[in-house]
Order: sequence, then structure tokens, then C-alpha cells
Amino acid sequence: MFKRLTRWWPLPALIILLIYPWIWRAPYYHVLGFNMLLFATMASSWNIMGGYTGYKSLGHSAFFGLGAYLVALAAVHWGWNPLLSAPLLALVVALVAVGLGWVMLRTSGSAFVIATIAMLLIFRLLTLNLRSITKGAPGLSQPLPPWTPEFSRMPFFYYMLAWVILVVLTSAYIRRSRFGLGLLAIRDDEGKAKMVGVNTTLYKMLAFGISAYFVGVGGGVWSYFATHISPVFAFDIIVGVEMILMTMLGGLGTLWGPVVGAFILIPASDFILFNFGSTSIHLAIFGALMALVILFLPRGILPTIKDWIAERRAPSQAHAEALTMAEMQAASERDLALVDSSVPKVKSGTEQANR
Amino acid sequence: MHLPSTNVLVQVVIVGFLTGGVYALMSAGLTLIFGVMKVINIAHGAFLVLSAYIAYWLFTLYGLEPFLSIVVSVPVFFLMGLLVQRFMLAKVRGEAGLTVLLTFSLALVIEGLIGWLWQSTGRSIRTWYTSEIIPIKIAEVSVRLPVVRLVGFVLAAIALLALYLLLNRTDPGRAIRATIQNRDAARLVGVSVDRIQALTFGLGLATVAGGGALFSVIWTFNAGSHEEWISKMLSIIVLGGMGSLPGAFLAALMMGVVESAAAVTMTSYISPIVFYLILFLTLIFRPQGLLGARIREG
Repeated sequence: MFKRLTRWWPLPALIILLIYPWIWRAPYYHVLGFNMLLFATMASSWNIMGGYTGYKSLGHSAFFGLGAYLVALAAVHWGWNPLLSAPLLALVVALVAVGLGWVMLRTSGSAFVIATIAMLLIFRLLTLNLRSITKGAPGLSQPLPPWTPEFSRMPFFYYMLAWVILVVLTSAYIRRSRFGLGLLAIRDDEGKAKMVGVNTTLYKMLAFGISAYFVGVGGGVWSYFATHISPVFAFDIIVGVEMILMTMLGGLGTLWGPVVGAFILIPASDFILFNFGSTSIHLAIFGALMALVILFLPRGILPTIKDWIAERRAPSQAHAEALTMAEMQAASERDLALVDSSVPKVKSGTEQANR
Repeated sequence: MHLPSTNVLVQVVIVGFLTGGVYALMSAGLTLIFGVMKVINIAHGAFLVLSAYIAYWLFTLYGLEPFLSIVVSVPVFFLMGLLVQRFMLAKVRGEAGLTVLLTFSLALVIEGLIGWLWQSTGRSIRTWYTSEIIPIKIAEVSVRLPVVRLVGFVLAAIALLALYLLLNRTDPGRAIRATIQNRDAARLVGVSVDRIQALTFGLGLATVAGGGALFSVIWTFNAGSHEEWISKMLSIIVLGGMGSLPGAFLAALMMGVVESAAAVTMTSYISPIVFYLILFLTLIFRPQGLLGARIREG
């Protein structure tokens, strides 16, 4: 009964999110909400590679920036509507990721992490220097959204909400599919996964592409939301680090962990920025939080809570098991007694073990 | 791209070589730490910048010669290394991805604190010898030697010689080298690997403290500089072969020359791409680097 009820919790959560912009009407809350949804999408996306497959990329900002620049360029040169072009152009981002993944995924562990950092730096340097296309360091501006300023943030909010739902459904589907099982197998033991017939190279490339896709969409939507983008912000390593921290905080490799992490961390980081100003102490707190999560909460909030609940339930379960054991023992003793009352009673195994 | 004259070529090679010597000292600790602990210390760049700040403040406030700041920074960094290893890295041993993230978070903390305490304005140290130049003319070729780089190279060479003697002539040094070669065998012959790891991390940070003192008189730096420099140092030790000290020295000298050549042939903005490309391509196509063991799976 309880379990059946808890399965439906996303529904009230969704309803709250649907009415959220109408309850908290100040633009500040709309920006905050948009950021939460944006990062929930991107962290869930990162999780498909970092959580399910076990390849932790520190360079996912590259896909964020690439999506942002593709969408902005398409809007400036061809007048493409960013909200429509983002899902399309993110396919290009995913394709780039699959191509890069083909070479990069020959490495693993720390070597992979460094390779992803190098990839990000190369992207940033190219964006800074291909001035004829990207306008270099000052960055690119694109047209403002057509809707009235009063509601300017609300369409972004709902649009991003749709993407959160989409990425969570994708992530859930992958987890249950043969493909997802293959990814988990790669995480646990790549050598064995290969031996039992998982096409590890293909699986990893696909997972990398998928996890780049939603980040690319996020970058594209963000570029429209921000209207002005520059290489330093679009290819900021911190964006990727935030995805990682959110995922690890919520629960690495779990379905809802990244979403929970984003919904905690974005308001928290806003609070820190608000109270400590935009100085770099923000970075220090961020780093300290990350170290604390890695050291003391390595499995994340959701699995820890799950364990805690299971532990609380466990005593009653153990009690029930103990009862049945006693009953069985009593029954077997009765049977023995029935068969032959003259045979000396033999102590049962459990009784001896109890001594 | 135009072909530079002979003068420029010789100049490029000499300045690159001198710079490479400083790079060698800066990266020595990074490769040593990886060799013993199989940990990639992303915070190495942040410690480098921190040490440069120590030199900067001692010079600005008390007029202390920047190279002498090592009297303060080396022992402090050594101690920090022991603590970081004992209370952070030792706890998550085993998972390579996690240790990298942990050292990355440490780098963020250091960057945040530096930026918070001392703003993000670029700092540089101007001593009496900063813009001194020794002109040398041999036959048709004339070269202008910047004194700072020359002094940096000589001091780096002295520090590296000291490191060499420490590793080759003392018992802890032999234990460190034994652990690099084969951790299990080292443990079998009685090396306390845990202690050696702590010692290595301390030693690694001590060398980067020295590197930071040299760094502070040559380059301009701010709180965010560590990102650029850790990438340079990583590409050096990956090219050299992770965990190989001779490899790192060779790669540092090579990269010094390559970088200084890139700076005169390309615009200076794009020249760092040489480092990133070399890092990227080495990791993928020759993970063992020039003189090291394979680390693709490291």
C-alpha cells in the first residue's frame, strides 16, 4: 500500500512545478526555477555517462558551449527560432560527441578525465580565436524573445520543464533496457562486459552522445535565455563541475539523484551568491562542498535515505523471520514426538548454534 | 605564418630551453605523485599559484627576495601535503575518477580563497633584474638572454639535482622509487607504502612550492591562472610518460621550445592550443608517453 503510493510521488511534484511560476511571480523566482530545471536536465544527462557507464567527464561544458554557440549562430545568421533549433542542433553536438568519444573512449579512469578537460580547453580556445565565426572574446548577441518582458521567463520555465521530463523518461528507459544493462556492466567491470558480448566501444560512444545531447539542448536554450554569450561563460569548466556535484549529491547512477541534486544545489548556490557576494568565496564553498560529498556522502542523498528506510524496516522483518523459525522448530519437534516418543529428543541445529 | 630569421630561431630555442627547465621543476612533483600514488593531482596548479602568491606578498610587504620565499613555502607545503594525503586522498583510494574530482575540488577551494583574499587582479613581481638582458654575439648570431629565465633555469636545475640526490642517496628516496616500480613488491620488502605515499605527496607539493617561487618572477598570475597551468603541466607529464621523472624533464624542455616557437609563429592567443592538442593526442594515441608506462587505464 505504502509502496504503491510512493511510486506516484512524481505526479504531485509535477503539479507543484506547473503552478510554481504562478505562485512565485517575481522574475527572480522564474530565473531560479529555470536554472533548477536547466541543471536538472543537464545533470541527468551527465549521469547517463558518468553514473551508469562510470566514465566521469569533466569536460561536459564543451557540449554546453557548443550547443549555445550553434543555436546563437543559427539565430543570428538564419533567423532560426532557438527553442525549435536547440533540439535539432543538439543532434550535431551529439554527433560531435560520438566522434570525439570514438577516440577519447580508448582511455579510461583518470586519463579519460584529463582528456575531457583537454577537449574543453581546445573548444574554448578555438571559440576565442575563430573570430570570423564566433566574434571572439566579446561574444555573440542574439535577438530578444518576442513575448512581453513581463512573462519573459515563464516560457523558458515550461520549455525546460518539458526537457526535464524528457530526459528523466530517457534515463529511466535506458536503465531498464538491454543497452542500460550493458552500460552498468561496463561500469562494474568493462573487461567482463566485453567478454560476455557487450559491444563496449559502441555502447560507450552512444552513451557519450546521448549524455552530450541534452547538455547541448541546455546550452542552446541557455544562450537564448541569456541573449548574450561569450566563450568564457559558455565554456566554463564550472558548469560541468556543477553537473557532477549535483549528480553525486543526489545519488550517482540513480534515476532521480541528479534532479534532486539540482533542486538542492541551485537554490543553495543562489543563497551563497546572495550572502557572500559574487566574489570567488563562492568557488571555495563549492569546492569544499564537493570534497565533503566525495568524502562523507559518496553514494549521495537518495541511496543513503533508501538504506536508512530499509534499516528502519529491517527489525520488524527480522522479527517476523524469527517467529517463523521458532514455529517451524516447534512443528518439527512435534513431528518428531509423533513419530517415536521413545527416541531421546535431539537438539535442533538452531538451538545448538544459539549456545 | 612566416619563416623567422636565424637570430630569432636561436633565440627561440634558447629561451624555450631555459623556460623548459622551470617547467621541469614545476611538473616534477606532479609526475612523482602519480608514479607513487596513481593520483592525478589537479590541485597542483593551484598550489603553484598559491606559492607564487606567498612569494609575491613576502616581496611586496617585506621586500624579501622572491627566490627566498621557499624558506616559508616549502615547509608549509610539505606539511599541507601530508595532511591532504592523510585526511582526503587516503579515504577514497581505489577509484581513479573520484580522486581526480577530489583534487579538483581542492583546486577550487584554493582558487576561491585566493580570489576572495587578494582579488582577481593579475600580479607580477618586478625585481631589479626583471627586465635585465645579457646580449651575446657569436659569429653572425646575436642572442638576448633574459636574466630572469637564466636565473630561473639555474635554480630549477639546483632544485632538481637536490631532488635527484634525495631519491637516489637516501633511504626514503629509495623507498619512493621502489614503490613507483612495484608497489606490492615494495610492501613485501618492508616499505610502509602508506607512509611513503604521504611523504611523496608532501615532497610533491614541496617541489611545486619551489617551482612557484620561480614562476612568480617570470609570469603574471591571478587566482584563476591555475587552470591554464595545470593543463600545461599535465601535458608535460603525460607526454613524458606519467610517473617518469626523466620523461617529465625531457618533455618539459621539449614543450618549452615548442611553446616558444609557437609564440613567434602563431598569434599568442592561440599558442596554448599546442599544449592541449599534445595532451589530448598523447593520451589517446600514445598513453605511455615518451618514457613511461601505459596509463590509459590509470
